[in-house]
Amino acid sequence: MKRQLPIAIAATIGFITLFGWFVEEPTIKSFVDDDATQWFDILASFAMFLGALNLLKMQAMKVIRKQRGWPYAALAIAGFTFSFTAGFIMLGAYSVEITEFSNSASIAPILAGEINQDVLGTQNILSVIPPGDTYTIRAPYFTEGGAESVVEQINAAGGTAEIRAAEWGAHIATRGSLFNWMFRFIFTPLSATMFALLAFFVASASFRAFKIRNFEATLLLISGIIIMLGRVPIGGNISAWFIFYIVVLALAAGVNTWFKNRTYTLIAVVGGLLVVTIAGFITGWPIDQPGIFYLPVLQDWIYNNPNVAGARAIMIGIGLGIFASSIRYILGIEKSYIGE
Amino acid sequence: MEKFLDFIVRAGSLDRRVIFVVIALAVMLPLFFPLGLPIRPTNSSQQVYDVVEELEAGDKALLSFEYGPSTKPEIHPMAVALLRHLLSKDVKVYITCLWPDGQFMALEALEQVADKQYGKVYGEDYVLLGYRPGAEAIIKGLVSNIRKVFTVDSQGDFLDDIPMMAGVNQVKDFDFLFSASAGYPGTVEWVQYAADPVGVTMSTGTTSIQVNEVMPYVQSGQIKGILGGMPGAAEYESLIGQAGIGTSGMDAQSVAHIVIVAFIIFGNISFFIERRRSKKY
Repeated sequence: MKRQLPIAIAATIGFITLFGWFVEEPTIKSFVDDDATQWFDILASFAMFLGALNLLKMQAMKVIRKQRGWPYAALAIAGFTFSFTAGFIMLGAYSVEITEFSNSASIAPILAGEINQDVLGTQNILSVIPPGDTYTIRAPYFTEGGAESVVEQINAAGGTAEIRAAEWGAHIATRGSLFNWMFRFIFTPLSATMFALLAFFVASASFRAFKIRNFEATLLLISGIIIMLGRVPIGGNISAWFIFYIVVLALAAGVNTWFKNRTYTLIAVVGGLLVVTIAGFITGWPIDQPGIFYLPVLQDWIYNNPNVAGARAIMIGIGLGIFASSIRYILGIEKSYIGE
Repeated sequence: MEKFLDFIVRAGSLDRRVIFVVIALAVMLPLFFPLGLPIRPTNSSQQVYDVVEELEAGDKALLSFEYGPSTKPEIHPMAVALLRHLLSKDVKVYITCLWPDGQFMALEALEQVADKQYGKVYGEDYVLLGYRPGAEAIIKGLVSNIRKVFTVDSQGDFLDDIPMMAGVNQVKDFDFLFSASAGYPGTVEWVQYAADPVGVTMSTGTTSIQVNEVMPYVQSGQIKGILGGMPGAAEYESLIGQAGIGTSGMDAQSVAHIVIVAFIIFGNISFFIERRRSKKY
């Protein structure tokens, strides 16, 4: 029963979901489109919760057992605790709402300091607010105390102000919340730095590993260079005729390797260079002609032909694999999800 | 000559820290001293521009932010440029996020474009629905009934209280769909579960590396145009006539690519000399 029940549930839901795509039956369609997706959302939310607990458990075990790299695990726990505190406990995101500012001359200097404006500019802002409307200072107040001191100053200056806190959930996206601050000033720079390092490693790895060892490697290298240069503006500024000359010299090198005869090589070099030069003079050396030697055109061709062919083959393969796996799940052949 | 060849062979085993310094300079210098290289829009970028250009004031565009700080340099400039184009045409913009970081990226873009540049009103001209976990299921939910996925927006306001949400219930109510995507869930899922079954016109902006994966959908017409990485963003900026961070980044990327190609060529020359010598002896 412990084995059969999950398999039966998976098979039934699998069949219904599959039929939902092919059968125009309102109840099944409603289940697939609305109910099943909402179940999935709920499960996904719980999965995040379980994932967080699992992360904590794994890292805590590492720290307790003093396993290799345990200080990193301790740092992960500290980061998690800080994020949790910022997201759920120390919400922050307080703002100050001024409801009465008829005494704008005395309020403006206080407000100017909070919104980084000059006093005259602040007075102008206050003067255009219609009577009965309010003005909200959206400076980042992480604590209630910070907002409270501004409220006290405004009230003492003859105005009326109140503290407003962002709603639960909305505080994440509000400037002045600790979580928002953490995302902008800790997570963003760290994440961007890690990704930016890739450029350095790509350069170093290309220098060492991108070698013309055989035909396939040569093909990869040439297409890599065309893509790298053709995608950026500098590639568009390299004349097609320059590439044409390089191709002629490469062909002459091929003639030399093949025939091992100096005369033939000389004929190939001189003849090739002459043909390209005469053609250039006749056509007026247009930068993007002949198109076959213009890097952006070549790059576009590689993207749209060999690349798409390869991508399609991979996609079809993945599709067939997903289909086969799904059938195995629906028919109860695949049982890895119940630990078998 | 032999000494020169020796030098090249020795340089072939260049310390990687030297390479790092050269790359750092290649990226930094053009940022301080821009070259102003001309940007030529590709067909796929032009296609995105044409699709947006066909939209009229009051039309509804659904934008999905699926990227984070790591891919921000590639995707964010195009998201900003697209927002500029849409809001300048008074198209109503609805934003969802399939990635949790996407909400922060969307906020930043909206603050820069909707608030500061165009002075648009939240809830009337644009709305940020926010993030929900669930990947494809969220897309499928939006196709079926937006209000079952989002009861409130990112500010905690009920959808029924937001003026521009009146009459917007499903993905098919939108005139245009754009996925700013850096991976899964992203463009491919939007095509498979929303744009294709519903028939909404869709375009996308992805990282350069993702273009390979998405290109088959562009070629088949399921996606109308693609902005590929920072070059795509720069091309879009040139099309709308507002240079931004994508354009300024292209000089740096151009020089960095040239330097990498130079390293590859140099590494191969060294490799050939070494191989010839080993054959000789």
